[in-house]
Amino acid sequence: MTSQLNPAWQRRAVSSDHLAKISARFLSDGPRPEQTTDGCQVIPFLLDHPDQHWIASELCEVLTQRGQRSLLCELQENSDGASLEDVEGALLRQEADKRFCLLPASSPATIQACRFDHVVLLVPASLDAALLAYQRIKLLSQQAAPDIGIVMVGPRDQHAAWRYFRKLAVGTLRFLDIPLLNLGFLPQEVMPEHNPADHHRQNYLTRISERLLRSEFYCRCRPGTTTQARLAR
Amino acid sequence: MKLRIKSAPHCNREELRTLLIDAADELAGGNSCLLEAKLPWDGHPILLADAEGHPVLVSFDLADSQAALVSGLHATDQLAVALPWVNQVYAPLQQRQKAPRLVVVSSEPPPGSEAVLRTGSGAGLTMFSCRVLSVNGDMGILLEPLDGAPAARAAVTTLAHATQPPVPEVTPPASRAAESVPSLSDEERAYFQQL
Repeated sequence: MTSQLNPAWQRRAVSSDHLAKISARFLSDGPRPEQTTDGCQVIPFLLDHPDQHWIASELCEVLTQRGQRSLLCELQENSDGASLEDVEGALLRQEADKRFCLLPASSPATIQACRFDHVVLLVPASLDAALLAYQRIKLLSQQAAPDIGIVMVGPRDQHAAWRYFRKLAVGTLRFLDIPLLNLGFLPQEVMPEHNPADHHRQNYLTRISERLLRSEFYCRCRPGTTTQARLAR
Repeated sequence: MKLRIKSAPHCNREELRTLLIDAADELAGGNSCLLEAKLPWDGHPILLADAEGHPVLVSFDLADSQAALVSGLHATDQLAVALPWVNQVYAPLQQRQKAPRLVVVSSEPPPGSEAVLRTGSGAGLTMFSCRVLSVNGDMGILLEPLDGAPAARAAVTTLAHATQPPVPEVTPPASRAAESVPSLSDEERAYFQQL
């Protein structure tokens, strides 16, 4: 009897090393960084729109409260994003005693210019936003694809967050052969426009920060450089 | 040459239909073509095909914008259901069964249109305000998109004088969605149609 899998779950192509690639992302004892930066580790965020800047900002505070001294790197982007020189300049202006540098960017061009090997996408919980995120991932995959983590923003509840994440993750795996990492979600009820001083927001941000740290989801190499492992993907 | 432009005193529905068909490129984009001048459905909309093979319904009512919107939405539903045979009948659709787009034309924006366009719920919906003008005695229409784009994107008249200035090129408004993103295959697009 032939398999009757929903086409959505059928992979675009089978590759022998794919399972290993995915499973490695869920293991807490994964490979150590191959090439760390001298200073702080960069965590790039690709925002769906500039209003999401507060998420990176508050995550920065949460990480610092958890003993991981972090700073938010402010980047000036034009319509074509920011250049590698702009990003390097912004990073150099930061203090050297920080562990993490959170870098919110609005343009995929910025992520491409810097060849970041990890990037966190903030994706609003809607079908249109999932489609735009997919297109951005497709764009990023035209270079050596970075490891991509997803934070769903504004779903009604955990179930809705999971459904949107699953839609996006199955799509990227099926069509692009790219697995996504679920870094968590920020429900609608904790959005600043709904509740400016919601203390639950801190809890959700803490969970996201834990997942970032546990999965070592930060850049392993300097902006503009590429590891051999990444090139081999 | 002097241009004497003033509001036209009267334009009946079938005259307006003719003017809108003449302005098909402004309503549905360049290289569009006419499939049906008068569909036998509510509001008797015009059916066009755009350059990409999407069917485009043009629903219009100068006096009653709400009627133009509602009958247009109703016709869009009917067209979606009838899409398989519509694709067989009209060669310009190339049997690709693409989702229909709706263009609503009226003198005033329909109630609620701003919210629909702002929230992105009307991804396949375009609205134009329309004024009927008399230019040197000939009737024409002025179409303005209601999507926040610069006003007077398209000015259309029935005049065909050699001295008539060309219609300005259509320039979509700059937006985040306009960033250079790769195109999608039909399979990818279909996958993201529903959750």
